[in-house]
Amino acid sequence: MIYEQLPDEWKDWLALTPIERFRESEKIFANYLAMGGTLDPDPDPTSPFYAPDEWRPGIAHGRAGLRLLRRGAG
Amino acid sequence: MGGQACVFYGAAQVSKDIDLVLLADAANYERLLTAMRALDARRIAVPPFDVPALERGHAVHFRCSAAGVEELRVDVMVRLRDLPPFDVLWDRRTSFADDTGITFDLLCIPDLVQAKKTQRSRDWPVIDLLVNIHYRENAAVPRPDWIEFWLLECRSPELLVELIRRFPTEARTLSPRRPLLAAAQSLDRDALAAALDAEVRVEMAKDRTYWEPLKRELEAMRLAEARGNRP
Repeated sequence: MIYEQLPDEWKDWLALTPIERFRESEKIFANYLAMGGTLDPDPDPTSPFYAPDEWRPGIAHGRAGLRLLRRGAG
Repeated sequence: MGGQACVFYGAAQVSKDIDLVLLADAANYERLLTAMRALDARRIAVPPFDVPALERGHAVHFRCSAAGVEELRVDVMVRLRDLPPFDVLWDRRTSFADDTGITFDLLCIPDLVQAKKTQRSRDWPVIDLLVNIHYRENAAVPRPDWIEFWLLECRSPELLVELIRRFPTEARTLSPRRPLLAAAQSLDRDALAAALDAEVRVEMAKDRTYWEPLKRELEAMRLAEARGNRP
């Protein structure tokens, strides 16, 4: 995808300096963790490092106390 | 290297882990293990932290449990497929410093693109974006090595056509290494996109071939560990 085809949000991201991107990424990540995100890598059967028995299925939305009520289609 | 480097360059917004490539050197391994102990990191999965295994191209995986980095995964490699030894990568690195004096040393974009040429589908859009970002940032003052990098690694049909029009002599010179450079202008957009996809499939197959013996070794290590852990 060439630059002109990128969404505005991504153009704003590219307008930051590398260090600003790193700091913003830290904030995004903190929010992700605060919302119950998990640091476990997503299972990726196409990765040479993928071993099904070593992947931990985890908790719904990654946080104890949250349970999956409804899973969207697809 | 990896996702964190992509964040700095703008091709990703977050990465869930940290990938490190390091100099294969005894003192350096000791520094790494000291850092891993400080992060309360334990090795997960196979292989074990084994210098010969690292030098054969394996990655060693750690998971941290120190406060503030709980569950963070750190992957360590010393050798990357089709990339030169560490000292060459180090000489070509890109370094950024923040205002507190911390320096971040990253694979340069061309090396990162090469490292991202994997069998994983999700790495290829990142390559596309990295090349586009590099071109956009340097198009006004193109260097010969950058022109070569753009022409050999560009994955966007539109940008590829633009590059061939802008640098026709270089495209002709490089076409034996990338035959698509000779054919691109006679193809419509869909055909060009299909040809680019075919190139990706070839690279994915190369990566699978590279990993095949290493995966067999990993499987043997898993079995050996499972036997060792059996009560």
